[in-house]
Amino acid sequence: MNLSFIPADMNWTCQPCGEKLQPGMVELDYMGNVFRVELPVCPKCSAVLIFEDLAIGRMLEVEQLLEDK
Amino acid sequence: MTRKTEMDVEILHQVESVCPVCLERIPGHLVRRGESVFLEKSCPEHGPFAATVWKGEPAFSSWFRPKIPYYGGAREQTGRGCPFDCGLCERHTQRTCTALVEITSRCNLNCPVCFADSGKGTDLDLDTITQMFASIMTRTGGCNLQLSGGEPTVHNDLERVVGLAKEAGFTFIQLNTNGIRLAEDPQLAFRLKNAGLSSAFLQFDGVDDNVFRTLRGRELFAVKCRAINNLADAGIGIVLVPTVVRDVNMDQLWEIVRFGLERQPYVRGVHFQPMSYFGRFPVDFVPDHVTLPEVMSGLAMQSDNLLQVDDFRPPGCEHALCSFSAKYMQQDDGRLMRLGSQSCDCTPVPAEQGALTSIGVTARQWAGVANESQNSHVQPVDEFDRFLQRARTHTFSISGMAFQDCWSLNLERLQGCCIHVARPDGRLIPFCSFNLTACDGTSLHRPSPNLSSTGQQNG
Repeated sequence: MNLSFIPADMNWTCQPCGEKLQPGMVELDYMGNVFRVELPVCPKCSAVLIFEDLAIGRMLEVEQLLEDK
Repeated sequence: MTRKTEMDVEILHQVESVCPVCLERIPGHLVRRGESVFLEKSCPEHGPFAATVWKGEPAFSSWFRPKIPYYGGAREQTGRGCPFDCGLCERHTQRTCTALVEITSRCNLNCPVCFADSGKGTDLDLDTITQMFASIMTRTGGCNLQLSGGEPTVHNDLERVVGLAKEAGFTFIQLNTNGIRLAEDPQLAFRLKNAGLSSAFLQFDGVDDNVFRTLRGRELFAVKCRAINNLADAGIGIVLVPTVVRDVNMDQLWEIVRFGLERQPYVRGVHFQPMSYFGRFPVDFVPDHVTLPEVMSGLAMQSDNLLQVDDFRPPGCEHALCSFSAKYMQQDDGRLMRLGSQSCDCTPVPAEQGALTSIGVTARQWAGVANESQNSHVQPVDEFDRFLQRARTHTFSISGMAFQDCWSLNLERLQGCCIHVARPDGRLIPFCSFNLTACDGTSLHRPSPNLSSTGQQNG
């Protein structure tokens, strides 16, 4: 399942590297479920930006769906 | 430590249990004989007893989920010890996940299989109920609530009771019901929804009237269907709860699940409860428990492996031997996609953490689906949105819980229990302890106005 999480505003810079973030494919692994998603990535150090709306919105909802009792 | 005594017999653990005749605490062992595990024990006065507690796949040896005990909250002084000091006592290792309040002892059915010994009786008054709700919130810090009985829909002020629960701060309120009144009065579900009811735990033993005649003494299939329609119209989540009995409905496990899947998003899951034996029995009675692995492997076999034994996980909240569960998403083409971890996390986790997770997961899965999710015609913006839109309406849980009776009681399991019956005096008594009876029907904790009926089993 390929998912895109690119924010409308892509004007982000990686502070340690000074590089502009680029869209890149990232594997998110949650409790053994792997989602390949497109996120802003630093081309130099590979740091990934997960912006707040996504983290506490749709990503949290998916986490809760996958959670075991 | 295990000890092999011969080729196919293995003593697995020492356990503590009770004598089915005198209810005195006695030691016993879990003993594997072939593919079955028995709880075997002997009372110095009343002799040996054995009950099957595990049979078949998944293997008993694979089914564990250790927890770091939780000893917080109010505790009763230990006098005679477990299971005599319940309320909770200081040996209890888990907090409350679900508090159960029996708001009436009256019932509008006369089931051959009833642990509550219900029938004629009384309703709890609203002042007592208000006090109990406040006490539960104080003692537990918040948990899920189940209104039970008797049959709670015969309580004269049921809507007010639900409203009081909401006012007390409960966010997940479930009604444990046979559905008869909900079928008779289409407006009742709407009134309960408006009062704050989240979910109906609906007795649903099978997909034909033979099953209902045997277990409930009446043909109820059409009644159940009407209740489901009325609950669906009102937006109350529905969990189908079959009491599983050998030679009665063991062959309908998958049919029941399929019935539920066809009624999504209204039916949110199926929760199997193998029958346990509470009430009065002959001294030489030999119980025939349906075990959890038989339900799991029965589901796999009857569904032609659409469900698989490996799908199911032991619980993170109650003792591993008490339940199983799996959650699925049914995709547009009808296929079932299992959600959740691929393997069990078998490192010990704090029991309290497991309980808090379970409270949230249960409430989200078993409550009704919000109208806006059902009526969402907004085009998903991406694959992720598409996944979420489907998941909001088509996740479905399949679970089962094995209650313990005087034959199968294992005190380690009891001490890990998270489903607690609230009493007017403030005590929270583990469910199986509250319902425990000796084989002559004498109850350990439940006040019993009527011991005259020939007891059987749970419902």
